[in-house]
Formats: sequence, C-alpha cells, structure tokens
Amino acid sequence: MIPGKYRSVSGRAANNVNCGLHLVIQTSTLPEKNKTEFRFSRDTSPFPGRLLQHDLERNYSSRQGDHINLVSSSLPSFPILQRSSEEKSLYSDRLTLERQKLTVCPIIDGEEHLRLLNFQHNFITRIQNISNLQSLIFLDLYDNQIEEISGLSTLRSLRVLLLGKNRIKKISNLENLKNLDVLDLHGNQITKIENVNHLCDLRVLNLARNFLSHVDNLHGLDSLTELNLRHNQITFVRDVDNLPCLQRLFLSFNNISSFDSVSCLADSTSLSDITFDGNPLAQESWYKHTVLQNMTQLRQLDMKRVTEEERRVASVVAKKEEEKKRESQKQSLLKEKKRLTINNVARNWDLQQRVSNNAINADRKDCASPPRDSCQLDGSTTSSLPAETGSLDSGLTSALQGLSVTDTHLVEIEGDTLSLYGSGALECLDRNWSLQTAGMVTTISFTFIEFDEIVQVFPKLKIKFPNSLHLKFKETNLVMLQQFNALAQLRRVDQLTVDPQGNPVVNFTLWKYYVLFRLSHFSMQKINGTEVTQNDMIMAERLFGILAHVASSELPQYRMISILGDARRKQFRYLLETKGKKPGIASEENNDSKRVMGENTNRATLNYTTKEWHNEKLEEIKEKKKFCQMYVEDLVKEATDINMKNEALQKLWPQMFIELVRDAVIEIRNKNTYMKVCLQQITDQK
Amino acid sequence: MLSPERLALPDYEYLAQRHVLTYMEDAVCQLLENREDISQYGIARFFTEYFNSVCQGTHILFREFSFIQATPHNRASFLRAFWRCFRTVGKNGDLLTMREYHCLLQLLCPDFPLELTQKAARIVLMDDAMDCLMSFSDFLFAFQIQFYYSEFLDNVAVIYQDLLSGKNPNTVIVPTSSSGQHYQRPALGEAGMLEGVEASLFYQCLENLCDRHKYSCPPPALVKEILSNVQKLTFYGFLVALSKHHGINQALGALPDKGDLMHDPAMDEELDRLLAQVPGLVNATSEASCLPSRTSSRVGSPWRPLHHSRKVDTESDGSTEETDESET
Repeated sequence: MIPGKYRSVSGRAANNVNCGLHLVIQTSTLPEKNKTEFRFSRDTSPFPGRLLQHDLERNYSSRQGDHINLVSSSLPSFPILQRSSEEKSLYSDRLTLERQKLTVCPIIDGEEHLRLLNFQHNFITRIQNISNLQSLIFLDLYDNQIEEISGLSTLRSLRVLLLGKNRIKKISNLENLKNLDVLDLHGNQITKIENVNHLCDLRVLNLARNFLSHVDNLHGLDSLTELNLRHNQITFVRDVDNLPCLQRLFLSFNNISSFDSVSCLADSTSLSDITFDGNPLAQESWYKHTVLQNMTQLRQLDMKRVTEEERRVASVVAKKEEEKKRESQKQSLLKEKKRLTINNVARNWDLQQRVSNNAINADRKDCASPPRDSCQLDGSTTSSLPAETGSLDSGLTSALQGLSVTDTHLVEIEGDTLSLYGSGALECLDRNWSLQTAGMVTTISFTFIEFDEIVQVFPKLKIKFPNSLHLKFKETNLVMLQQFNALAQLRRVDQLTVDPQGNPVVNFTLWKYYVLFRLSHFSMQKINGTEVTQNDMIMAERLFGILAHVASSELPQYRMISILGDARRKQFRYLLETKGKKPGIASEENNDSKRVMGENTNRATLNYTTKEWHNEKLEEIKEKKKFCQMYVEDLVKEATDINMKNEALQKLWPQMFIELVRDAVIEIRNKNTYMKVCLQQITDQK
Repeated sequence: MLSPERLALPDYEYLAQRHVLTYMEDAVCQLLENREDISQYGIARFFTEYFNSVCQGTHILFREFSFIQATPHNRASFLRAFWRCFRTVGKNGDLLTMREYHCLLQLLCPDFPLELTQKAARIVLMDDAMDCLMSFSDFLFAFQIQFYYSEFLDNVAVIYQDLLSGKNPNTVIVPTSSSGQHYQRPALGEAGMLEGVEASLFYQCLENLCDRHKYSCPPPALVKEILSNVQKLTFYGFLVALSKHHGINQALGALPDKGDLMHDPAMDEELDRLLAQVPGLVNATSEASCLPSRTSSRVGSPWRPLHHSRKVDTESDGSTEETDESET
C-alpha cells in the first residue's frame, strides 16, 4: 500500500512515528474511540534521508474502505459517496478511497469536516468535486492518471499535497495553497519549475523523476528545507542560494558535468547535505575535493559524512590546482610575448628585405629579372603589407604601439639550444654566460638575421659556446655558395640545417656538395636532417676537388699568403679588440691558427668576404692604385724618353759616324801638315 | 713577334696594345699591398712569380672583377680557369640555373656582376624563361662570347636596334671610314622584331665596328661566314651562332672545342689522386693536425722554386713524405 520509497529506513516503531514534518499521529487500537490529533510542528530535525514518512498510512485501516458505499448519483457521471454514520463518527476527519478503481473523483457529500483524503492507486484523470472540502489538510492522489493540477483553488488549508506518479505536465493552479508544507510531484512529466514562488511555507518539494533540464526560478520558497530532484535531466542549477533554509538537496542521476553549472551551491550557507551520484560530475577525478572545497559548510556528500581529513585533502589539492593554473597562465603569457616578439622581428626583417630589394632594383639598369617578391618570405608575418614602404611604416608604427622598444630581438636558451631572432640578438654573445649554461649549448639557431652579420660574430661564438655543434639558419639571406666558406672559421660543425625559407641558396642543386667539400675537415654528420654518406663525400670531392687544387697549387705563393694572411688578420683583429681578457686567448689563437693549418690547406684560400668588407678593401686600394699608376707612368715616360733618344741616336748615328770618319780622313790627308798640327797640339797642352 | 709593325707604333700605343702597363701597375700595386710578406723573399722573385702567373693564366684567381675585365688576356684566362675548375660539374651532367652558375663564378671572383651572367643566360635561352636550366657547355660557350666580347656585343645590340627601327647607323660619323662606305640605304620597313635584320646590311655595319675596335672583336672573316649563311637573323640568333662557331672559339683560344670540353687528362689525374684520399680524409686531417709545426712552417717558409710547388701541394694531404727537403 505504501509506496516503497516512503518506507522508513531506520525502521522505527510503528506506533510512534517521527517524520520530518512531525506529522504525529497518535492512535490507539481500533476499537477505542480516539480522536486523532494532528500536530503540525515546524522543527527541523535531522532526518534519515527519506522524504516523507508516510507512516500514518500504517495506521489507516483498510477496512475503512469497506464502509464506504458508492451510490450512483443523480448526476450522470459522478458517483456520490456516502458513509454510514458510524463510520462518519469514528473517522470523521479522514477518508480513504484507495484502490477503488475510481476513474473520477466522486462527489463527497456531508463531509465538510474532512481533513485527510486519500485517493491513492486509482485511475482518476481530473481533480474534481472536492472544492467543498474546505478543511482539507492532506490530499493524496498518488498513482493516478491526473494530467493537470486543477480543482484545488478552494482548499486554502491544504498542507500536504501528494501528486506523485501521475501525468502532470506543468505546475500550475497552486495559487491559493499558501499553507502548503509538502508538495510531492515526483514521477510526473514536469519540464519546468514555475508557479511555486508564493509557497513561502513549503518545506519539502519533491520533483524527482520528472523531465526537468535545469533548476531555477526558486525564489520565494523561504521555508524550503528539502528539495528532491533525483532522476531528472538537469544540466545546471541556479537560484539555490536564494533559498535561506535549504538543507538537503538531492541531485542524483542527473546530467551535471561541471561544478560551474552548480556554482550557486557554493553561496548557499544553509546546505548541509547534497548528493551528486549518478552525474557525469561524480566520475571526474577532481569531483570530491572540488565539491568539498567549494562547499565548506557541507556535512554529508552522497549520503556519507564528510570527515575533517577529506576536507583537508580537498583544500590541499585545490591549492595545488590553483598554483598549476597560475603557472600555466604565466607560461602562456610568456609564450604569447615570445610569439609577439618573433612576429615583430619577422616584420622588421621583411621590411628590411623590401627596402634593400627596392634599392637593388633601382640600381640595376637591366631590370630583366623580376624583383624578388618578398611575399615569399612571408612565413610568419601576419597581415598583408601594402606595397609602399612609406605607408608601411605608418601602419607598422600604429601596430607596434603595443610592443615595447626592446621587442626587436629575442634570445632564448632552452636546454641545449640557443635561439636568436633578429640582428639585435647577436649582441647577447657579449654577455657573460655561466660556464655551465654555455657548455650545455650544442645547437645554435639563427632566424631573421643577415648571414653577413652572423659571420662577423663567429669568433665570439667559438669562444663563448665552445660546444656548439649544430647550426641552424632560417631567414638569414644565404644566397651564395661562397658564404659557406665562412663556416670554416668555426671550431667544429657536426650538423647544419639551412631552412629553405629565406635562404635561396637551398634552391641550388650543388649546395650540399659544396658544403661537404668546403667543410670536409669537419666530417659533418648531417645536413638538413639527412645523414651524410660516403658517396656524398666522394661526389663533393669529385665536383669541386679541382677547384681546391687550383686554388692552392696554382695560386702564386704571394697571393696564397696574402689571402690566408687576410683571414688570420681578421680573426686577430677581433682577438686584439677583446684585449686578451682571458689569459688563455693567446694560446688559443695559436691553437686556432694551427687548426687552420690543420684543415686541408688547399681549401683554406676559399674564403668568404662580405660585400662590405670587400668594398672597404677596394676603397683602401684605390689610393695605392693611383700611386702605382702615376709611378708606372713616370717610369714609362722615362723609358719612352730614353727610347726616343735611343731611336733618334740610331737614326743619327750613321750620319754622325760618317762625318766623324770623313773629318778624320780629311785631317790625315796631308801627312806632313798633320804631324805638325799634332806636335803643336801637344806643346800647347803643356 | 719581331714584325716591323711593332716598331711602327708610337710608344704609348704599343704599350697599350699589349696591356703592358696594366700588368705593371697591377704588379706594383700587389707589391705595395703585400709589402711585409713579399719582402721576406725578395722583390725580383715576386716579379718573376707575378709574370709567370700572368703567362700561365692563374693571375686572375680570386681577383676583383675590374682586374679580370681589364685585358683580353685576363678574360681568356678567367674563362679557362672557370672551365678547368668546374668542368667536373659539367661532366656530372647537372643542369643548373643561371643563379647557380653565377654562384660558381663568384667562387672565383667575389664581385662578379650578375648582369653579365644574365646576358649570357639570355643567349642560351634565347631571351626566354630565365629560370630554365642550362647545361654546362651551353652556358660556358655563351658566357665566353658575352664576357670576352662584351663591349663589342653592346655595340652590336645598339646597331641592331637601330637597324630594326629603321635608322641607318652608317650615317654616324666614323673617323676612319672612307667615302666609299656610305651606303644609301633603302627604307627598311619590313624588318620585324621576330625576323630580325637583313644579314648583309648587318654585316656591313659590323665590319665598320670591327674597324673601329681592332682588338676585341671576333675575326671579321668568321663573322662574315656566319652572316653569309642566312638571309635574316635576330640579335640572339646571331649571338647563338657566334657562341656555337668553333672557329671563333679557336680564335679566342681559351677553351677547347665543344667535343673536348669534358676532357682534361691532367686534371683528371689530379682528381683521382684526391679522390683516393677521401676515405682517408678523416685520418688525413688528424695527421695534419698532429704536425702543426711542420705545416705552418711550410706556408711561412721562404719561397720555393716554382717547379716544385705544384707537386708539393698535392701531396700534402696525408702524405707522409714532407717536402721540406726541397727547400734550399
């Protein structure tokens, strides 16, 4: 008779029943004439968790139903109920009509003092014909077929309304039931909580096994102590913090998946008992401590007492989570900053390239080759840039307002990789790196820096990061095979990665072989990720071996020395600049020069001089050239003078000789006079 | 050598014709630049070395472009050096782009201008699709014509444009031309861009040009030969014909015939010797680094006789017989 879920859990004594509502009924055994008393008290005492102790049911005798006569009435559809006067006097305030196969509510005559009315387990479809029972306090329509709440507007004293297991779709027509204490609507088809806001005395509201998808609109239920929402489809809960007395909230077997959707529970100070089992929320690893952390006032969770230990653990875990979140936030901030910086550097680089391209194209008279489209450099630069560099600048300045001035380059060390972005980053090599950090670096990556600038810091690189074995170049403007000659300066390179982006040299078919050839003394292991095979080395030698031979053996000695001397002089210059801060430098320089000799000297003459350095040199030579020219001119003048004179002499000489001879012959023609003349000459001389 | 014409020229012109002054100036300049190093082994030997290298054609290695371009002999030497160094690339069969050839050129001459390479490429590719791949021999012969005769070709281009547009370049005052060379040219309206110009007229203009610039023109007889075969020709057609004509190649004397382009037995021997050392290359470096004093002394040592130098250097890699004993 009694619906199973209403049976007492604790199995209390049948006669004295303590239900949460304190609906205490003291009855004696049947024959005694006893007035049933109803006491309704409003104490809130702990409750073993079950909703309504319908134990008063137990005290109903089913025999009551026997004494009821259903007489067909004059009205065509409704039967009329009459009781014997004996019954009436015995149970004047209660009437049980359960399992009477009623399809409609009968007209109940002459029972205006009725206070309890039980229609359980019938087939009633509409609540009717009870409007005259204005003293009704308890109305039970459990397990019928009622589709709509209606016909209750006169029952102003009603305190308990049980409409479970019906077919009600909507909560309505409860306006006048201001004294309602318990409202049971479980097992219906209700989709929305509404029209209950005036029930300020309501203490128990049961909406289990309905079709609720969310909970709100609970304001006004100032006395609500227990809210049962089990077995619905609830995804979020709101408004619960507006219930000042709510102590027990049952949300088992719903669809709650995150604590945020029930966040209002944290703000409720009265809640002491809550269930979440059967929700996706309860499956999460962080479920228990999140709930405990957010609802510190909780005494029971999922029908189990919350211990101090659990609370402590929850707070510890929560703190850790907090920290982790903060860490990850910091990390993402850093990452964002890095990304912005790199973008900035990329944009600057792109600008630079455009400017230099425009300059080159302006210089070139022969514009046959199309200007290098720097859009192809656009790997990481974001928005499309306008063609005019002028407008580009103004656009950039407005975009860069957010970034600080130092964001023009980026230096980053991650374990064994040192990454440099932007030409300003090269200055980091002047910094004092701890030996340990510097010693760990095996890979150095250059991005958005001109290769010619990188070349100039190779000596520094050798000293500061002696263990660097792998070099990576991206967007560094490697355009000529010659530039790889510069890498020979380094101590050792095991791996080389040249990213095709921004390095046109990779488009050449022979670049890898040239690198292997020029840097053969390094015995490189990998180029751009692919292993170097013996065949590669042989091919490299085959292609360029003769170049090396010519460059070494066929060069005149003085040229060889001057070329090598230049290279060493450059390195020397750097070392002199550092003023020998480290005492080991002098010996190091010796070692280096020995090393330079150690490499195949036939390649040593293949050097790379940056354009600027080359032009500088040519400028220096200009003076000397001018001098040489003048000097040689003078020489030539002298020589031609002499030659002229010589030629003139050649021309004139025969004539002169003939005249000489003629003069002599004429003189000697007369021997005697000649002898006299000679003697005279001799005496004159004295 | 001892022809009487030689004596007929006035001094400066004679010297200029043989570019003696260029080499003298350059030699003195080099001397000044490397004063400290050269003074170690004597100036006389420096000059010997210098002019020997001029004779051998190795003086242009790694020099600046202005020097390389200065004399025809320099240009021819440069062409020859380029051929010898990169013949192996051609032998390997790789087809390269214009930019890559330019890179190779830059290995030998760091500031070689891109325009020349581009013009050479245009000859090969007939002014079309400049990013096409070219074979080594095609490029080399075209480059030879472009580089050796660059001034001549510039003038030819001007003449060609004039002929195309209908102007008669012969009306330009030519100091050495006689009155008989003024031709009354009919209107050349029919010369289209694709068809080119009439060969005979073209030849006459070229002949004038050759008279003006005696020394860096292709031999007129050969030019006539080329032009007599066709009725009309375009500018690039003419250049291609020039580059492919082996008479002109031989007249230049820098490169061997096309058929022999890949042959160079002496260098192949050297290459084989080098290749034989490749597997041992790693060992060679370690050996060499163990002998730093010897190697460094080798370079800084007094100048060794030239006829020993080549042999010494090739055997320096990993060879155990050190050649210090050759120093006297």
